[in-house]
Amino acid sequence: MDAELIAMQLFSGIALGAILIMVALGLSIIFGMLGVVNFAHGALFMVGAYAGLWVASRTGSFWWGLLVAPIAIGLFGILIERVLIRPLYGRSVDDPLLLTFGLGYVLVEAVRIVFGSDGIPFQTPPELSGVADLGIGFFPVYRLFVVGVVAIVLVLLWLGLEKTKFGLIVRAGAKDPQIMRVLGVDIAKVWLLVFGLGVGLTALGGVLAAPMRNVNPEMGALVLAEAFVVTVIGGMGSLLGAVVAGLLVGVAISMTALVAPEMATIVMFALMAAVLLVRPQGLFGKKSRA
Amino acid sequence: MTTPLLAVENVGRRFGGFVALEGVTAAFEPNRVTAIIGPNGAGKSTFFNVLSGVMPPSTGSIRFKGRDITGTPQHRFAHLGIARSYQITNIFPELSVHENVRVAAQALRTRYDIWCNRAAMTELDDKADAALAAVGLAGRRDATAKFLAHGQQRALEIAVALVADPELLLLDEPTAGMGPEETKDMVGLLERLAKDRTILLVEHKMKMILGLSDRILVLHHGRLIADGSPQHIQTDPEVRRVYLGQNDGYA
Amino acid sequence: MTASTSSLPAAARAPRSPWRARLTAWRVPLSILALCLLPWLLPSQALAVNVLIYGLLAVGYNLLFGYTGLLSFGHAAFFGAGAYVTGIAIGQFGLPWFAAMLLGVAFGGALAFLVGLLSIRTRGIYFSMVTLALSQLVYYTALQASSWTGGENGLRGFTVSTINVFGWAIDILDPVKKYYVLMVFAAAALWFVSRVLNSPFGAVIEAVRENETRARACGYDVERTKLLSFTLSGVIGALAGTLFALHLAIVPLDILSIHTSGMVVMMTLLGGAGSFFGPFVGALAFLLMEDVVSLWTSHWQIVVGTVFILFVLFLPKGIWGTALAALAGRGGR
Repeated sequence: MDAELIAMQLFSGIALGAILIMVALGLSIIFGMLGVVNFAHGALFMVGAYAGLWVASRTGSFWWGLLVAPIAIGLFGILIERVLIRPLYGRSVDDPLLLTFGLGYVLVEAVRIVFGSDGIPFQTPPELSGVADLGIGFFPVYRLFVVGVVAIVLVLLWLGLEKTKFGLIVRAGAKDPQIMRVLGVDIAKVWLLVFGLGVGLTALGGVLAAPMRNVNPEMGALVLAEAFVVTVIGGMGSLLGAVVAGLLVGVAISMTALVAPEMATIVMFALMAAVLLVRPQGLFGKKSRA
Repeated sequence: MTTPLLAVENVGRRFGGFVALEGVTAAFEPNRVTAIIGPNGAGKSTFFNVLSGVMPPSTGSIRFKGRDITGTPQHRFAHLGIARSYQITNIFPELSVHENVRVAAQALRTRYDIWCNRAAMTELDDKADAALAAVGLAGRRDATAKFLAHGQQRALEIAVALVADPELLLLDEPTAGMGPEETKDMVGLLERLAKDRTILLVEHKMKMILGLSDRILVLHHGRLIADGSPQHIQTDPEVRRVYLGQNDGYA
Repeated sequence: MTASTSSLPAAARAPRSPWRARLTAWRVPLSILALCLLPWLLPSQALAVNVLIYGLLAVGYNLLFGYTGLLSFGHAAFFGAGAYVTGIAIGQFGLPWFAAMLLGVAFGGALAFLVGLLSIRTRGIYFSMVTLALSQLVYYTALQASSWTGGENGLRGFTVSTINVFGWAIDILDPVKKYYVLMVFAAAALWFVSRVLNSPFGAVIEAVRENETRARACGYDVERTKLLSFTLSGVIGALAGTLFALHLAIVPLDILSIHTSGMVVMMTLLGGAGSFFGPFVGALAFLLMEDVVSLWTSHWQIVVGTVFILFVLFLPKGIWGTALAALAGRGGR
């Protein structure tokens, strides 16, 4: 097996991992702040892909889709938090989980009604198609682009969390929600924004993934499982964990595809099982979140 | 000299870099009431958690009836004969008062039996009723536990601990959050229990401790700074220094 | 700190009124009577068989979710394992139907034990995620192992037409006869579950659901209790799967999908988690809803999903649980 093939496959893995990072980060941010596991996360990823597709076909530009869809779906996320999830605070932790599962169910069917059950191909925008020679091999431009966008988003997110007042509140709140009340922060508003942000991130993942995957109403189911695997490996609520585990899972999948394609999807679950055996709280998780 | 019921030797517990408990050595004779006091953050709760197996000590050893039980999983402690109550009320909220106690009694008899009819195990019902009577809750037998008044929930917790007929009873602030009436009832209950049981309790209400205990341990910054009879503790200069300026009704 | 899932069950809770005690004592005969009448009350035989099979699956699931307080999102794995192993045992190994069923139940139970062993290591909310992920592992394994499972096309070619019970041949291609044959197994399982709930262990799982910390202090090994409950629940699920295989004579890959897991969760909650009759009521409600709504639109899932959301928001005790609570309220607390 030659080095160039391995390098290409490694890079594919990073691009795949970049998408997983977007989804898992959204999941993790929402959980860290609200204590809610969003089971509609996969469905919202799928809705994001469709929204990107729709905007792109209307405006004739992929760029508009990339910009508008995550924001629109993020706003939709805010609506979800306000109307559906907020009434459940103070009840069993299972209730928001059940509700978002039902919501995912509804979203999948709604997309079927609007766009049909069959998959829709999403053309790679012409300016991003083709391959680039990086000296060590030829890489698809679009995947380079995906990695670049995710890197930029990560930097922005990091800056936002480290340098802004909102970020400070989010970080403090994730560690100890009691502090928020003591500080007199309007916690409801923060939760609203955090939920919107988390949903926006997964929608962005959906738009970015659209040209690499077949866009269909069922695409969210596997993504949800992938995001769970990444989150369990990385450690729930840990943003660094989501990034590291996302890359790890992406690379593991694509490297396995090279040697044993039929095992590609299975390997990430095996990875998760191994982490659970050795470190149940995840690689970057705290021992117990009591 | 007889073997003490419980003996801790050089017990310590750290959380990361934080030392919550360090070098505590003490032995407890049967049928005595020992109170553990100390300012907030002194390590009382950690000490209790170590004694009841919630967490193993980082250093040192615990012997119960001469047997080393260091590192034994928490669920084994009830079977050894050590029962505890919690500082924050810790009951089965949706179960009936009677079932709260019955299920605790059942733990010592059977745990994984999926076949027999538990309604036929009438001796568990009787045990539960006896424990409820002992704490004065016989009248609320069929109520759902979450609907009890706070003081009654605390009493229920004692019944849950008591029904296992433990040789050692660990009580973490049994009167926490109680008004004067409820406290009086609880003290009466503890006095009755103290006749034939070994009790360790953490408390803040100093008058109650002085009346109830045979011996007092004082913890401060995770260390045992005094150990003796209530009279001895009251005059100990080190204890006075630690509590100086703290109005605990101590003076 | 253990969050008690106190929004859950209300049934079988003290104070017990006499009619409630009587209902509990007669719950198995009453359920069997209802199941006997089911094919004659519902619009179609097919619907009755589905209520029977999915109801049983939900009853097993309820042991875990309703009584032990563990929200698993992976029960499709055990249901599917039971169905696949039964089909493979008959079709590829030529085993007699009963041996094939036993094998299916044993395999499903063993799988549940393994999945339980891994997922119970995690706490709280992780549990749901890990069970979902592990059931996806089973799904993709079945997809890839197509020489055994038929992959995407599903498993076919193991039709059982007659079964012999002590020399008495029953033609199970006849839908009515088939229903009653399957019902015998479901009835036996219901009796078993009822026994478990009445057993000492039945009290332990409720204690674990109510307060893990307290249960541990009482002397219960919480992890082991959960594992046993998980395995029992998986065994019942696998039995439902073997009935599914005998009924349809094909096993579609979709049986292992997240939709199946989600459907069981929905049925249990719609009916009333933590009550004996709840899961069957939920299966009936869910499948009736599917049946009726799909008469006028193929997008019945949007209706079912919306109803489910409304239940989570406003009727978390489910149909049966709410009815019980209302009756208890009328009886005077």
